[in-house]
Amino acid sequence: MTMRPSVRDAMLAAVPSLRAFAISLCGNVDRADDLVQETLLRAMANIDSFQPGTNMSAWLFTILRNLFRSEYRKRRREVEDTDGSYAESLKSHPEQHSRVEFEEFRVALAKLPPDQREALILVGASGFSYEEAAAICDCAVGTIKSRVNRARTRLSDLLSIDGTDDFGPDHTTRAILSAGGRS
Amino acid sequence: MHTEAPVRKAGGRLSREDQRRLGDILQRAYDDVVRQGVPDRFKNLLNELDDGPEGASARGPDDERRHNPEPDRLVEARGRDNPNKGSS
Repeated sequence: MTMRPSVRDAMLAAVPSLRAFAISLCGNVDRADDLVQETLLRAMANIDSFQPGTNMSAWLFTILRNLFRSEYRKRRREVEDTDGSYAESLKSHPEQHSRVEFEEFRVALAKLPPDQREALILVGASGFSYEEAAAICDCAVGTIKSRVNRARTRLSDLLSIDGTDDFGPDHTTRAILSAGGRS
Repeated sequence: MHTEAPVRKAGGRLSREDQRRLGDILQRAYDDVVRQGVPDRFKNLLNELDDGPEGASARGPDDERRHNPEPDRLVEARGRDNPNKGSS
């Protein structure tokens, strides 16, 4: 199979954000990378259905998201076992200034329902518009907006109250909410 | 005792400021992964597939697409990431 170099370059260019999206979805770097690999294979097998001139990145995100959803349905129990591995998987990046806050944040993120999490990531981190996110998730724009809102609220709740084991709730809230206060 | 049910203290609406702060952390966590770039695994995968056996045997040697770019060129593609910045 041969691809036009521009197609391959566009796929490569999308890999870093695909990985970030995949890690956000499944909370485990190894599984995320497998998911990205499967996405690229699927994309290349179906490259004829990609319309040149449209957004390659959005197309790949759609494939990855659908793969994740079908896998998630199959392995629901496993997916819920992500809290520890999620934080664990990102411990190797000492350049982060406020690592503790990040880890708490990631644990909270992993507890969001998948549809809220994906909506929040697509809009809040991947830089897609609500319309693009709706296309990727195959739902209405209003649905995306309400998922994003619920995700934010739920995250805030989790970070505020769900600290019974390891973190004092007040400490967690303050740490997370003040972390963005610079700049 | 541990409950999964959200216990909302007040109203459930986040202030604009809190939204911004949450968004900031989210973005930084995401960008942290993005900055890792393209692992070799994926560069190799795309190269292999592009170099696959089908094209070579089925087509003549003068197929213009056999002129593969060097692997290094692919790395540059990273800089062009995120063409669709700008949420509403």
